[in-house]
Amino acid sequence: MRIDETHRKWFIGSLIALAVALVVYIPYSRSSPQGPTGGSVMGLVYGSVGSAFMLFAGLLGLRKKFPIWRIGRAQAWMRGHLWLGFLAFPIILFHAGFHFGGGLTTTLMWLFIVVFVSGIFGAVLQHYMPRLTLERVPMETIYEQIERVRGQLMDEAAKLVEEVVDALAGNLEKATAEERACSASAGTMGGLTVASGLQVDEEAAVELRGFFTREIQPFLEHAGSRGPALGDRNRSQGMFRQLRVLLPANVHSTVDDLENVCEEKRQLDQQSRYHKILHGWLLVHIPISYALLLLGAVHAVFALRY
Amino acid sequence: MSPDGTAGKPVPQVQLTIDGVAVSVPQGTTIFDAARVNGIPIPTLCHQQNENPIGVCRVCVVEAGPKFAASCIRQAEQGMVVKTNTESVVGVRKTLVELLMSDHPSPCARQQHSGDCELERMAEQAGVKQPRFPQKVTPRGKDESSIAIAVDHEACILCERCIRGCDDIRHNMVLARRGKGYQAGIAFDNNLPMGSSSCVSCGECMVSCPTGALTNRAVVGTKLTGQAVPPEALLGLPIFKNVSGTFLELNSHAVVERRFRAGDIICREGDFGATAFYIVEGKVDVYLSSPIAHVKTQDSGQGFLSKLKSLLAPRAHDRRTEEVDRPFIPIDASVDLPYDNPIAELGPGELFGEMTCMSYYPRSATVRAKTDCTMLEMLRNVLDIMQRNKNFREQLDRTYRKRALDSHLRSVPVLASLTPEFINHLREHVELVRFAPGQVICRQGEPGDSFYLVRLGFVKVSEHRPGGDMVLAYLARGGYFGEIALLGGIARTATCTALDHVEVVRIPGEDFQLMLDKFPAIRQKLEAAAAERIEANRQRAMQVANVPVEQFLNQGLMEAQSLLILDLERCTRCDQCVRACADAHDGVSRLIREGLRFDKYLVATSCRQCRDPLCMVGCPVGSIRRRNSLEVIIEDWCIGCSQCANNCPYGNINMHPFPVEQDDPTYPGRRIASVKVKATSCDLCLDHEEPSCVYACPHDAAHRVNPPEFFAGLLKQRSSGMKG
Repeated sequence: MRIDETHRKWFIGSLIALAVALVVYIPYSRSSPQGPTGGSVMGLVYGSVGSAFMLFAGLLGLRKKFPIWRIGRAQAWMRGHLWLGFLAFPIILFHAGFHFGGGLTTTLMWLFIVVFVSGIFGAVLQHYMPRLTLERVPMETIYEQIERVRGQLMDEAAKLVEEVVDALAGNLEKATAEERACSASAGTMGGLTVASGLQVDEEAAVELRGFFTREIQPFLEHAGSRGPALGDRNRSQGMFRQLRVLLPANVHSTVDDLENVCEEKRQLDQQSRYHKILHGWLLVHIPISYALLLLGAVHAVFALRY
Repeated sequence: MSPDGTAGKPVPQVQLTIDGVAVSVPQGTTIFDAARVNGIPIPTLCHQQNENPIGVCRVCVVEAGPKFAASCIRQAEQGMVVKTNTESVVGVRKTLVELLMSDHPSPCARQQHSGDCELERMAEQAGVKQPRFPQKVTPRGKDESSIAIAVDHEACILCERCIRGCDDIRHNMVLARRGKGYQAGIAFDNNLPMGSSSCVSCGECMVSCPTGALTNRAVVGTKLTGQAVPPEALLGLPIFKNVSGTFLELNSHAVVERRFRAGDIICREGDFGATAFYIVEGKVDVYLSSPIAHVKTQDSGQGFLSKLKSLLAPRAHDRRTEEVDRPFIPIDASVDLPYDNPIAELGPGELFGEMTCMSYYPRSATVRAKTDCTMLEMLRNVLDIMQRNKNFREQLDRTYRKRALDSHLRSVPVLASLTPEFINHLREHVELVRFAPGQVICRQGEPGDSFYLVRLGFVKVSEHRPGGDMVLAYLARGGYFGEIALLGGIARTATCTALDHVEVVRIPGEDFQLMLDKFPAIRQKLEAAAAERIEANRQRAMQVANVPVEQFLNQGLMEAQSLLILDLERCTRCDQCVRACADAHDGVSRLIREGLRFDKYLVATSCRQCRDPLCMVGCPVGSIRRRNSLEVIIEDWCIGCSQCANNCPYGNINMHPFPVEQDDPTYPGRRIASVKVKATSCDLCLDHEEPSCVYACPHDAAHRVNPPEFFAGLLKQRSSGMKG
């Protein structure tokens, strides 16, 4: 979610709520002889409000499980999650009087810090990463389809190389009927290459096939761009430039196509990285949030009962 | 007695010597025939025995005395000494073959398919491997407009065997010569594509052609099961009268006899196929087994926990806006099916599956043998031969006027109130006209002289505007056009073109006027419909004029009335929108988070309610149409063939499965559970205030928008940028 001017109401509301909490907290903390504690009336009020905010923030996960329930737009729930979750932290600090307390409460505070920081980190990522993905991955596809698209790219590259290598080697077997007809009328040896506008050049065929087997195939076969030279855009451009020098001009359009295939694979790898970053923080945020809520409930029961 | 009165008179004989053999033949015999009857072969290309010789190829050159002569036209003379095989004759002949080969694509289609191109075989026998003359295949093009015959003008050696076959043997007078010099070739009618010409596909030209210029277009990849029918047996049927036996022999695999027992299913609605059936004996039932109902999304009524539910609702229970009471369902046969009880009977001499066969549309109905029947199942090249056959056309025409015209006219809501007397009047006056794909039926600006009803195929209605043509509508069976010009006494306002193999019912202008005079209610309805069409076209023109950005148009966004867009700067690719859509529609998502991009927006694949709705082309039962608001509506009689889903360029139509009960074909009277699919598209979750996908997006990235309005600012900014 992008945090922009559309969040103004939430921002102002949160700011006011925070200011009120702070205004109440200052005299409360000064008037408490032993300092503010969670067990005092005000402490309990802060604790209840903070817990309610945390609970609401935690319910977002449940809300997402039932996307079509008409219980408020998911967007409102998300904004509530962001801002109330954000507010919960200072309020819980007010509740605890800025002390970590005993074993359980210290654990709770550390968990809360992790949840709070990871949440802010996530919000920052969600603010910037979609735009970054939009700008840097114009060939983006559905994340779950990346493997399939990579397979298609591999097939496409293999087919491109095969066709040109066959033509360069004067192999008539895979030529189309039209090419065969033209090649027959064009003469004998290398009829196909004449028909396709190429000259027989077996050395070029060997060079292209070698480049494909050595560089392109391993790059396309495996996910991830780290390692293979083609994974680096600058090095890739240099390698393809060099390949063009070694091959006849008529093959250059195929080399362009191959370079585009490699570019798309690089973008898919990049999309995959971005996706993992964009959603990876949830692996920390969600389980710890649930742990926090669970331990928070335990803390509440124990604190109120004993 | 012969016409010249020579009957009974002995014909004088002439004596000559051919290759040292003394030969005696009747006066007037050509050297070629004299040699042939005496077992001396002379090679030739342009001549064959059943045609009059014209001596254009000169390959049959011989030494006749001191001179060279073309033996096919030079008559034998008394005392003539003919040499057919001397070194000089062979040399001349070889040169001629070399010259012909230098302007012949080798191997031509015939040589590739069957290795029997007469020219190439002759070249091989003459040892012509590399012609001494520069190889120059003059680009004269190919003509693949005919279903039965492929024309390669470049392989034509101008021997005129096809022209003589067409004109002299079959008396069809379709073929002639065209052009001069290197551009000379054969022409069909007034140089029309073969498929659009008056060619009856008798096949005579093809069997006459010595090269690959005219070859048989076999339908590859389809093997018919059934008993092959010998050409002689086919020729015995009136519908094949005047067709070349050789042509039928070449296509022997393309027509088979099928026998069905009463109760057998011959074809099922929605199945893809490539054949048509001609009933020789017996009767069949044609019916729809799909439930006659549309997909309705309904709120389950559980308050804030409410869930949408998809169900099948017939017209009687759920009447949608602008629902039209069509009394008949159009199918791919000579009859329409009554809406309330969609079943009809076909008998001997009737044909079904034409659209499936000619245009590969899915089967429009299920056909079950009512009695034991015999049928001819055929591929499109044979059906084309039949449809171009005058006898068969007449038979089809008669059957249509007798059986189908009535229901066809009544199936058009504005004409539903026609009286039986007037339909009887029209029976004698309407004309069934066929059009090949791409052929213009009527052109914008021409005077309007007829009213047309679409019987088969799809018609594209387009209007020429500055900057290019704009598609106004696609009309399927039951659609009509031509009324605006006739009602207003003005020129045609749009061009109507056959999208595929189209057959229309043409009602002449005078009869149309008579109908308007006799039935003021019909005039009123037609005038109202015409006014609606004109208004819709005007609005569309205004919208296009206001959109300057090419990309916007290229992506088809202008075509859409309502788009689901995802702001990619906000979208975290969490797929909540897709999940919500699936949840709202029994697990069948009508949304895919993939599609075209415009600026920072992803135009997700959810129905755009296009103004050029390609999804409507090819529906075998015409069950997809649009309302006046241009929103797509899928009629109750959708058979779930998926054609519209496949046609939609944006992948925005989904097939929704529903469990139904239907008759068990094996045990009549028993019901069995089955699953039927129905086409459906995004309905914007009409039962709710907001579409589920938008409602469920936690990142405020999904929006339903009207493109011209939503993108107005962006377009303005871009167009001013372009001007700057």
